[in-house]
Amino acid sequence: MGIVIAVISGKGGVGKTTATANLGLGIGLNNKKCVVVDFDIGQRNLDMILGLENRVVYDMVQVMDGEANLKQALIKSKASENLFFLAASQSKDKSVLESSKVEKLVVELKEDFDFIILDSPAGIESGFEHTIEFADAAIVVVNPEVSSIRDADRAIGILDSKSHKVKQGEEVAKYLIINRIVADMVESGEMLKSEDILDILDIKLLGKIPEDKGVIDASNQGKPVILDKKSIAGQAYMRIAGRLCGKQIDMKDIEMCDSGIFKKIVGMFR
Amino acid sequence: MISIFNFFRKKKSASIAKDRLTIAIMSDRKDSTNYPFMDQMKEEIIEVVKKYIGVRGIEIKKEFDGDFEALSIDVMLDK
Repeated sequence: MGIVIAVISGKGGVGKTTATANLGLGIGLNNKKCVVVDFDIGQRNLDMILGLENRVVYDMVQVMDGEANLKQALIKSKASENLFFLAASQSKDKSVLESSKVEKLVVELKEDFDFIILDSPAGIESGFEHTIEFADAAIVVVNPEVSSIRDADRAIGILDSKSHKVKQGEEVAKYLIINRIVADMVESGEMLKSEDILDILDIKLLGKIPEDKGVIDASNQGKPVILDKKSIAGQAYMRIAGRLCGKQIDMKDIEMCDSGIFKKIVGMFR
Repeated sequence: MISIFNFFRKKKSASIAKDRLTIAIMSDRKDSTNYPFMDQMKEEIIEVVKKYIGVRGIEIKKEFDGDFEALSIDVMLDK
């Protein structure tokens, strides 16, 4: 029986879809069966990041409505045979989702996969609520920046009140990914430190991703950055995927520049 | 002289961000009426009131007054 993880952020544009694609692939590369589902109905994007946009025949709304079966709609990733992808509907809007249909789909996916990762739409409206409704856990993605953090707190609030698990009296596990960290800005006090963000949001840390130009280069090509062994963001995603698969991997301190110690010594003589 | 003094004591923007966020989020959380049972409670209250009088809608607000926390329930009646 698989675990259902919703990837949420509140604010758009913080890297939710990129995180979904990379973690899905990372889990696949760790030899676990994973499916990533794009819940952003009407604004399909996960297909582009995964480089699978030309393979989409059926989408998840068609599966929910019985117009296609799961086997027909699931698309296998080019990069890992353990990763499958289910596309969002591009023609319909978010109002087509219904709790009972979402639940049926999720239950079916749980039978076949170890990890079911749902890429939530931005915002905290109905599309978001349907994404978190049947999740066992949530990964919250933020940037070290005030509007992202505030919006994430609102999204967490809704998760804590509307998810099925919470209504049953259980707890939904929540983990934070801080994306786009610029080490020298953190060092100079111009960017929030991860401890501060964890304090404010009262949440456990899953991982930190450094700012990396390679992420855009990777999405241009439809090859998730985790495949680029030299990319620092790709390496960070690989560490997080390992943690999700139960490996003990220490947090790497990416908030310190390589030149950090050197700078401090120079600073002493100023 | 004061300006030079201020220059060296200038607060870093990350710590300003932390202070502002802490306050904004505290007030956001206060405003939210997101008890897990809120929707269900609303429906049940409507059912009870309906037995006696027509109801158009109901609004529940969480309010704070000093140390007190209160739920204010507004029932809009049918004309």
